[in-house]
Amino acid sequence: MLLAVLVAYPAAAGDRLVALVTIVGSTGWLLLALGLVGRWPLVLVWGLAAFGAEYALFLRLRGGSVDARAPYVAAALLLVTELAFLSIGRGQGSAERGLVARTVVATTAAVGGAALVGGLLLVASGSASAGLAVEGAGVAAAVLAVAFLVRVAARPRS
Amino acid sequence: MTRTVAPKLAAYTALAAAGLVAAIALRLQELVVLAAPFALLPTLSLLLSRRPAIHVDVELERERALEGDDLEARIELDADAGADRLEVLLELPRGIGVSDGDDPVALAIAGDERRKLRLGLHCERWGGYRVGRVFLRAQDRFGFTSWEWQVDRRSPLKIYPREEFIQDLLRPLETQVFSGNHVARQKGEGIEFADLRLFVPGDRVRHVNWRATARRGELWVNEQHAEKNADVVLFLDTFTEASHGGQSTLDLALRAAASLTARYLQQKDRVGFVTFGGMLNWFLPATGTTQLYRLVDSLIDTQIVLNYAWRDIDVLPRRTLPPKAMVIALTPLLDDRAVGALLDLRARGFDLVVVEISPCPFMPAPSGEVAVLARRIWELRRDTVRGRFQEAGVPLAVWDEERQLAQGLEEVIAFRRRARVASA
Repeated sequence: MLLAVLVAYPAAAGDRLVALVTIVGSTGWLLLALGLVGRWPLVLVWGLAAFGAEYALFLRLRGGSVDARAPYVAAALLLVTELAFLSIGRGQGSAERGLVARTVVATTAAVGGAALVGGLLLVASGSASAGLAVEGAGVAAAVLAVAFLVRVAARPRS
Repeated sequence: MTRTVAPKLAAYTALAAAGLVAAIALRLQELVVLAAPFALLPTLSLLLSRRPAIHVDVELERERALEGDDLEARIELDADAGADRLEVLLELPRGIGVSDGDDPVALAIAGDERRKLRLGLHCERWGGYRVGRVFLRAQDRFGFTSWEWQVDRRSPLKIYPREEFIQDLLRPLETQVFSGNHVARQKGEGIEFADLRLFVPGDRVRHVNWRATARRGELWVNEQHAEKNADVVLFLDTFTEASHGGQSTLDLALRAAASLTARYLQQKDRVGFVTFGGMLNWFLPATGTTQLYRLVDSLIDTQIVLNYAWRDIDVLPRRTLPPKAMVIALTPLLDDRAVGALLDLRARGFDLVVVEISPCPFMPAPSGEVAVLARRIWELRRDTVRGRFQEAGVPLAVWDEERQLAQGLEEVIAFRRRARVASA
C-alpha cells in the first residue's frame, strides 16, 4: 500500500511521459507484491529497483530544481523495504511484546534518520559548487561506501 | 557458532550501489538521498552488532510421566553478551507436543541479563525420550547478520503408557512354591476348604472339624488349599504392527502389558516378559517394585524391528520361560512366526492365553470389489488362525480400542471355566 503511494507520487507530480513513468512504477509494485507472496528476496529487490527507476525517470523528465520531497521519498522507501523483509519471514517463532516494541522503535528511528540524512544531503549538495573534483570525490565516496559495506559484511566466520 | 549473512544485506548493498551509480550517471542528487539510507543502515547495524555469548540450561520438571500428562520444561538463558533478537527452539521428539507457550520463541536479551522461559509439554505417546537440545539464532537489530548454534542439555524423559482398567486377573492353572494370592491345587496352609481327613498326631486343634468329629466319633480335621504365587510371562509380538493416526497395535499391547504387570506384581506374583520379533528380548520373572520399574522401563523401549534374517524363527529358547509359567500373549496375529511360536509353547505344555490386539480399527475400509473380496479372504484366514488356537485349547480374546481390556479378560476366564467343566 505504501509503495503504491510512492509509485503514485512521480506519476501524479510529473507532466511528461506520465504513462511510461506509471508503467515502470506499476511494474515495481507488481514485482514487490510477487516477491511478498512468493517470499523471494531477489524479486523484492527488483521491485524496489523498479521504483527507483521510476523516480529517476520522473526526475530526469522533470528537470528544473531539486525535488524537495526526496528525503521523505527515501524514508518511505526504506520503510517499505524494512516492512517487506520483515513480512517475508525474518526469523521464526512468535515474538515477545518487548521485542515487537523494540523493532517498532528501531524501524521508526531508522526511517526518521533516513529523512534527516536525506535532508542534510540535499542541503549539502545545494551549497556545494559543481566541478570535476567534486564529482570525482562523489564517485570515490560511492565506491568506498559500497566496498566498506561488503567488507564489514564479509567478516570471517567464528 | 556459525555466522551467516542474510539475503537482506545483499539486497540493501545492491540497492545502495545501484542508486549511487545511477546518481552519478544521471547527475541526480536526489538518488543519492534515496540510496544513502540503504548504505548507512546496514553499515551501522553491522558495526554495532556483537557476537552473542549466552549460556543455556534446560531442566525438565520430572523424568517420568504418564501418557497424557503435562509437564514443564524450563530454559534458562544467561547472557554475557546479549542479542537484539534471539530465537530459541527446544527440539521436541515425536510423541511430545507443546501444551503451553511457544516453541520457537523470539525475544530480546541484554548483556548480563538472565531469562527463564517456561514451556508446557504434553506427553502424547509412551516411549523413552531425551529432551533438552536447544537451537538458538541471534540476529542484529535489523536482521542483516545472524549467529546460529545449538546447545545439548538433553536429559531422559520416560513416558509410561496409561493403565487400563482391569477388574479380575486371569488365574494361572499352575502355581509356584512361594506364598501368594492364588488358590493352589495342592493342600496346605490356606483359607479355602479342600478336604477332610483323619486326625494324625501333630495336627493343630484349630483344624479339627468338630461337626464331622461328632458325627463319626473320631477326630477329623479340615484341609485347605495353599495360597501360592504364580509366574506370569507377558509375550509381546513385535514382528509387525498395524497403525493409523499415531496409534498402533503396539501401543495397545504395551498399555495392556504395563497394566497387567502392575496388577500381577501387586498380588505378589512373579512377572517377566518376552518381546518376540525382529529382536528377541526377555526378562526372567521376579517380584517387587524394582521389577515393576525394570519391566516398564524395558517395555517403553520396545519397538517394531523388521528382521529378515529371522524369517524362520518360530520357537522361543527354553531359557526364556520358567516351567509352569502362565504366558499371556499380546499379539495382532499378523505374523505367522509369532503364531507358530505360540502354538509351540502350547505344545510344550505352557498355560497359554492369547489376547488378540485387533488390527481392524487401524485399517482403511476396503474400496472396490476386489478390495472387499481380499478383506474377506484375509478375515477368513484370521478365523482359521483363531481356530488353530481353539483346537489347541488356547483361550483367545479379541481386544481393541473400543472395548476394555477387562472385557477381553472376562471372555478368557469364561472360556477356561467352560473348558474345565467340559473336561470334568
